[in-house]
Amino acid sequence: METIGSLILIAIGAALINNFVLHYFVGICPFIGVSRRVDMAFGMGCAVTFVISIAAFLSWTFTYFILRAGAPVTSWIWHVLRPDSELVPDLSILNYIVYIFVIASSVQLVEMYVRKFFPALYKSFGVFLPLITTNCAILFACLEIMKHVSGASDPSQVWGLDKALVLAIFGGLGFTLAIVMMAGIREELDQCDVPKALRGPAITLITAGILALAFLGFSGVDRGLAALFQ
Amino acid sequence: MFWITVGLAASTMCILAIGMGYMLGWANEAFHVEVDPKITAITKVLPGANCGGCGYVGCGEYAEAIVLAGAPVNKCAPGGASCADAIATIMGVEVEESWPYRPVVHCAATYKDRLGRHEYRGERTCRAANLVTGVQGCTYGCLGFGDCASVCEYDAIHVIDGLATIDYEKCTGCGACVEICPRNIITRVPFKADRILVVKCSNKDFGKAVKDVCKVGCIGCKACQRTNDLFKVEANLPSLDYDRYNPKAVDFQPVLDRCPMGSLVFVGKPSPKDVEAVAHEELPERVEADFKTTVDDSDWWG
Repeated sequence: METIGSLILIAIGAALINNFVLHYFVGICPFIGVSRRVDMAFGMGCAVTFVISIAAFLSWTFTYFILRAGAPVTSWIWHVLRPDSELVPDLSILNYIVYIFVIASSVQLVEMYVRKFFPALYKSFGVFLPLITTNCAILFACLEIMKHVSGASDPSQVWGLDKALVLAIFGGLGFTLAIVMMAGIREELDQCDVPKALRGPAITLITAGILALAFLGFSGVDRGLAALFQ
Repeated sequence: MFWITVGLAASTMCILAIGMGYMLGWANEAFHVEVDPKITAITKVLPGANCGGCGYVGCGEYAEAIVLAGAPVNKCAPGGASCADAIATIMGVEVEESWPYRPVVHCAATYKDRLGRHEYRGERTCRAANLVTGVQGCTYGCLGFGDCASVCEYDAIHVIDGLATIDYEKCTGCGACVEICPRNIITRVPFKADRILVVKCSNKDFGKAVKDVCKVGCIGCKACQRTNDLFKVEANLPSLDYDRYNPKAVDFQPVLDRCPMGSLVFVGKPSPKDVEAVAHEELPERVEADFKTTVDDSDWWG
């Protein structure tokens, strides 16, 4: 019950309470750029979720087994080469580079997949699909995972693959939720009489701010849920 | 310790690179999309500005439309004739002649020709005046508040004596005035010669109703249609079939004589006759506005 509870807490935290776009303000580029129509927004949300999941899986694997201090693979190699040493190998300097590497490759993979099987969606994304590479939402998910894997103070708090994947997938779903809501609002705004000075990016940013304010209403839900599960 | 760390780091990155490289290479083959090589060739020839002027979303879309849907090859305005020729070579077709499209104001009434004008105290833009009745008698024609002039970036359209007049020496055909006119009386016309014949009226009423509001408006008598079959009168307003219009083959003088209101006019760059006519006159020096000293006429009304 405790593990499922903590997984649910992480899921709801990533999707609603600490929504990547509306709480941490990462991943704003596709959020503003692709949210003109609901079907495009949903497609982008799915693409980002897919990329986040792959990137989180690969980056957790690399961080847990190779990059963190005292990781199994590097420790084993170290002990083979220097059996008497007390020191612990720590490759965590490579974290950022490896994450970017992994994200870029997974985005390229997704781009090729989308181009083959959903050509209309590929054309409608345009330049925003490769821009997912520089999307800080994905790097943010990887860094959150890193925080709990190599940054954990004691070994029992280190996140396993289950928690990492739940964070990533539900973070992506939260992003999808935010971008689809934004698209719905923007589609309605197209029919409205927006003052000339505010048309375009201005009203979009104002709407995003109001959405962020609305999602602030979820804060404190995690404490209530934690009490429920404890 | 140092060297082993460096070695471990380097080997991690190398293994990562090789692994990802293999995976992406496999994906490239597995998810390969067949693209007609003509499409890539045409996309390279196009300017790549993705302006949308051709009517398609971007240069890639236009290239696909040419190869797959048989779109005409001369639609790229920034590319121009050289681009059209290059595309025609790739596609193996002949380029039809293309002419520059320029805007034409379909109204000929200056302030003194307009009847039924009343004092207007509202916002001095055409879009606002268009919403109100009673500014002038003719509800179809040019209002003269200069929305088109303020949106033109090439200083090519001015409101002279209440009527929007285009300076064809400066006009580039960008179409900003076409989009902004709230009465839609500016349209794009292919200029097959330096001066072409246009119908300078947009009034769709008939006879006396037109004469009550304008001294030079088209009354819908259909005399032009009877004289020359290039004219087609719909809703009491003639329009010229510019696809068949050939300035060299047809003499328009009979039609010009038959029109009772003088609504058919040649517009375009000044003809050699006009230039010669004013050659002996001393024209005043044109004073260009130096915006550091004159009042800024942007429409922020406070």
